[in-house]
Amino acid sequence: MSDNAPLLAVEDLSIMIGRQAENLVDGVSFSVMPGETLCIVGESGCGKSVTALALMGLLQTPPVHITSGSVRFDGHDLLGLSVDDWSDLRGDRMAMIFQEPMTALNPAFTIGDQIAESVMRHRRIGAEAARARALEMLERVGIPAARTRLDAYPHQLSGGMRQRAMIAMALANDPTLLIADEPTTALDVTIQAQVLQLIRDLQRESGTALILITHDLGVVAEVADKVAVMYAGRIVETAPVEALFNDPQHPYTIGLIGSLPGLEAGQRGSRLATIPGLVPAPESMPAGCRFADRCPFATATCAEAPPLREIASGHAVACHYAPLEEHCAPEQAA
Amino acid sequence: MLAFIGRRLLIAIPTVFIISVFVFLLQKLLPGDPVLALAGEDRDPATLEALREMYHLNEPLIVQYFYWIGAVLQGDLGMSLRTNQPVTSLILEKLPVTFQLAVMALIFAVGIGVPMGILSAVYKGSWLDYIANFVALSGLSIPNFWLGILLILLVSVNLGWLPASGYRPFTVDPVRSIETMLMPAFVLGTALAATLMRHTRSAMLTVLKSDYVRTARAKGLRERVVIMKHALRNALVPVVTVSALLFGELLAGAVLTEQIFTIPGFGKLVVDAVFNRDYAVVQGIVLVTSVGFILMNLLADTAYMILNPRMRDQK
Ligand SMILES: Nc1ncnc2c1ncn2[C@@H]1O[C@H](COP(=O)(O)OP(=O)(O)O)[C@@H](O)[C@H]1O
Ligand code: SF4
Ligand SMILES: [Mg+2]
Repeated sequence: MSDNAPLLAVEDLSIMIGRQAENLVDGVSFSVMPGETLCIVGESGCGKSVTALALMGLLQTPPVHITSGSVRFDGHDLLGLSVDDWSDLRGDRMAMIFQEPMTALNPAFTIGDQIAESVMRHRRIGAEAARARALEMLERVGIPAARTRLDAYPHQLSGGMRQRAMIAMALANDPTLLIADEPTTALDVTIQAQVLQLIRDLQRESGTALILITHDLGVVAEVADKVAVMYAGRIVETAPVEALFNDPQHPYTIGLIGSLPGLEAGQRGSRLATIPGLVPAPESMPAGCRFADRCPFATATCAEAPPLREIASGHAVACHYAPLEEHCAPEQAA
Repeated sequence: MLAFIGRRLLIAIPTVFIISVFVFLLQKLLPGDPVLALAGEDRDPATLEALREMYHLNEPLIVQYFYWIGAVLQGDLGMSLRTNQPVTSLILEKLPVTFQLAVMALIFAVGIGVPMGILSAVYKGSWLDYIANFVALSGLSIPNFWLGILLILLVSVNLGWLPASGYRPFTVDPVRSIETMLMPAFVLGTALAATLMRHTRSAMLTVLKSDYVRTARAKGLRERVVIMKHALRNALVPVVTVSALLFGELLAGAVLTEQIFTIPGFGKLVVDAVFNRDYAVVQGIVLVTSVGFILMNLLADTAYMILNPRMRDQK
């Protein structure tokens, strides 16, 4: 693998639930370089989790299944791998943290056992060494009294501590890619910043690439190298983080950023979705541009699905009228 | 742990008391005068009166109850009116036989029901699932006596593989004891296997959708480990509880099965006592069975607690 080859390259990924007429996730493409941070943003229900689970091979099939596309990771064609080969990568080279720390850990086993289990699965080491590694990880994620926590059951830990334990588990084998699906959404606001900071610190230490799924634009501004904005199962805009905030092109992105008055890098707690209207449900996806119902610029042309077009280096937009400067009067675009 | 069991035992005391009152009143409400039964042909009023005096039957009910319960607490359940043997020793003699039958039946039930439940949950919607459900439904709907007779005809009469009767106590001849119990235990176990299969299946289906099973997969664990360790461990919690409660049902089902396979167990004691209006024995049996149920409940709760770490911390 050469230096500038992406660690993960997703091409034209489409995912369907049951036998619905339209793809739930439709033609999604993005890539992540080693050590890079990609943020995927979008309103709830737009297919972020489903996309992430697809990368890990964790989709609930049936009813959810991949209809087309390819996922290349670290030289492997993931979708072509056997079940066993994929599970060799999972938890080792690629790991995932979930949104719900309260239910993501098995209530019947201790924290230490659950971390050590993952280490033993992927490394040829004994129970003692795996336990030592689990302890080391618990200390690294900043769990106080880590040695006693090793033998604690999940219910004996707070939500924030459980999410730290999940992070310890995910990073125990030094993965090259970490997928974090809204890792702080379920936590207390005061804890959110700490856990996010922890993920960033660990990522910086280990050089792991990170896909961070969030609907918090403040978080995006703070941590992302690159952003993919998803709407109703499609990527509508993808750009380096500065370009996205300084020069948003898709009406949906503009709406998102516009609903954050005076956003500056580092500002947190700002949430999406003050755009009027709702995300279309999977069973009633419009045929053309999926944002047309809520788009102030929609025209007859928009009955045709807009392709994702690159308008500047690394900056691609799925709108017939992008770049907006060429199509609209400035006051309209604002 | 011990504190938990101790507390549960304390809670059980009022229940046992109420049961004992019912059992006591049951005897009083039943038709037929036990004194007449006891006296047999001798209807001399003086004899009858003497017997009444001897059994405190002229005292107020409440006093009679305390006489009775006092004796019970010392292990004296009275004398059988028919055989003149102490009820306690009658029960102690028969109980181990039925207990052996119930344990073996439970082994069959768990051994068949749990694996079938796991398979049908993991392969939900496949032919395996349909077959398992069909077998379970059959197990539930085939009457025990019919299956028992069929087995005797096939396995004992035609094939000559197993004896149809001739039970020996386990302590006397273990091999023979188990041989004669295999068929009855199987018959008794099948209906329970069906119930357990359904419980296991639904528990597994719920657990397999859980977040922590997804986490186990995300760690790259093999599907076998995900199912047999992470999923099953949690699915077993309700299954074990149900098994312990079903054990009581087994004892009840044993009555009929014992008749078919002529096993000299609790069942035979019950039937004989009822037909002979041997009230002291009936009373003793009801009391022992009720306390047995309470103990099984306690066992179920304890198992639930052992399997479920969340419960262990609750004071
Ligand atoms: N297992 C599933 N079965 C049926 N529908 C699902 C399943 N998983 C997700 N969905 C549907 O897919 C859509 C996208 O879900 P998701 O990816 O979780 O959204 P997000 O993470 O962006 O909030 C939602 O409408 C959700 O109801
Ligand atoms: S394609 Fe049309 S409807 Fe879709 S975002 Fe662009 S202008 Fe709006
Ligand atoms: Mg989600």
